Amino acid sequence: MVNIFVLIKQVPSTHNLEIDKKTGALIREGIETIINPDDLYALELGLGLKEKYGGNITAVTMGPPQAEISLRECLAMGIDDAIHVCDQIFAYSDTFQTTLVLKEVFDKIKDYDIIITGSQTSDSSTGQVPYQLSEALDIPLITDIFSIELKNGFVECQRNFGHESQNIQVELPILLRVRKHFNEPRHLSLLGIKKAFEKKIIKMDFNALNCPNFIDGCNKSPTKVVKTAKISLQRKNEVIEGTTSDKIQKILDIIQEHGIEKIWVGEK
Amino acid sequence: MKNLNEFKNVWVFTEIKDHVKVHDCALEILGKGRELADKLNQKLVALVLALDAEQYLPLIEEHGVDEIIYMSHLDLKHYHERIFTNLVHDLVKEYKPSIFLFPSTEVGNALAARIAYRCKTGLVSDVLNLELSDEYGDNLLLTDKPAYGGNIHVKIICPNTRPQMCTITMGTFKQKTVKRKNIQRIKKEFNCDKSPNKIKIIGTPTRKDKPTSTLSDSKFVLGGGHGLVTKDNFNKLYELARLTNGQVGGTRRPILDGWMPEHLQIGISGESIFSDLYIAFGISGAIQHVVGITDSKTIIAINKDPNAPIFRVADYCIIGDANEILEGLLDYFIVDR
Repeated sequence: MVNIFVLIKQVPSTHNLEIDKKTGALIREGIETIINPDDLYALELGLGLKEKYGGNITAVTMGPPQAEISLRECLAMGIDDAIHVCDQIFAYSDTFQTTLVLKEVFDKIKDYDIIITGSQTSDSSTGQVPYQLSEALDIPLITDIFSIELKNGFVECQRNFGHESQNIQVELPILLRVRKHFNEPRHLSLLGIKKAFEKKIIKMDFNALNCPNFIDGCNKSPTKVVKTAKISLQRKNEVIEGTTSDKIQKILDIIQEHGIEKIWVGEK
Repeated sequence: MKNLNEFKNVWVFTEIKDHVKVHDCALEILGKGRELADKLNQKLVALVLALDAEQYLPLIEEHGVDEIIYMSHLDLKHYHERIFTNLVHDLVKEYKPSIFLFPSTEVGNALAARIAYRCKTGLVSDVLNLELSDEYGDNLLLTDKPAYGGNIHVKIICPNTRPQMCTITMGTFKQKTVKRKNIQRIKKEFNCDKSPNKIKIIGTPTRKDKPTSTLSDSKFVLGGGHGLVTKDNFNKLYELARLTNGQVGGTRRPILDGWMPEHLQIGISGESIFSDLYIAFGISGAIQHVVGITDSKTIIAINKDPNAPIFRVADYCIIGDANEILEGLLDYFIVDR
């Protein structure tokens, strides 16, 4: 039986983020949260594989208590089980510390065949965790696939790699990173939503994972955020007045100022 | 904790693109690396792993390096995650660079993340700026990167571990041609264990080049939105792009309407642009789109609605019918040649 895991993250929806002028921290209260958009493609791939080949599929997230809502959403999509990795000491983990925690999680799970991730998170936008987890677990990471078939103990994938399109065979376990728009993520079903609230979410904290003492997101992350600022998109905002042809002429002038030349392309 | 003073010099992973040329992004990063090395009074070192690596060295030497550490071997023709990671990690352990910069490419991102994990150090992705600052420690690398879809900028340091690593996207810095005196070339022997690879390639791979003109490296981008109303109107945008050597892009809407292919989307779930000039035709300016255009040097927005949010991020605001303006521009380019 194939054992599939999908890594997801709860992120703020990116509209209207504000910064507390006194503390310089993001104001998180009242901010709507969503499943990281890229993770939906990972969930869909996992669900599709399960439908085709059977097995069990689990969503895993590391995040604050409220991230449970995102796991419920996954369960409503048809995910079988959910693991919530949550502990105060994991807060402020950078990608390196996150990877260390996830390694503990999968060392504890032991029986994993396929771990699927999205391409990056919309909040920190690093995309590093899949590569680092591949190092930590010493399993191959396959990115940019466009087809996948599960065989006995291995997968066959078509992938883009550099400037090549390759057919590859990889022994399980593997990590897969799914690119955007790889598939059409499904919606929640009413029945699914009902079931989602009946299921139990497995909680894993520092003690349950028996974490070594170098795991400490707040104090031992190699990178530290020292400043946060909302970017000002300050522009000239010069309004061009006049007739339509005045406006067209002004655009043509700007085009010319930018060194853009008409090119000869023959008849229309 | 390691003695941080043992770590010296600024390294740039000088990627060879598709085994034919030095990646332009790597040359740009060398330009910035030179500045950092000058301020630290340390060396700028280019790291090159390639087949026939010597052929690339003269060009790299024109870009401000003090030293090139290189390996040349058939097994380095294509990026191979295990070979490259092992070799680069060994070199880092041997030479102990203080700063290690990578192009933000498929290869650069993968390699940087793996090396950072092995070195138990920090990595900042897609930085917009780099400076050396004494604000938080002695000559610490202070990186500036966008987060939350570009709405927010964060400044990040890596105070207690080395190397301080980051990846940098194409177009962030400018290439600079400077030739230093007494450039050292250090050739390292290729030695990598031949343990079996977990990924087996079946059959012969087919060549599949990415399109050469992409949104992210176009100097002139013409963006279309729902305000162009019809597919015929949107097609005029393609015509104008053809006549000006520009590149069409747009919001999510024209994709859903079937006017434009998926890969031309600009914004959160699409590409970011770094053009000299961007003209937004009939685009309202939802944040999902706007975050992808803010790195454009000049922005002209055309929209009927004077309150459209796109005007807040535009240098030139034209309140009017985008179709009429587009038609007028086309007339100029078609008739008067």
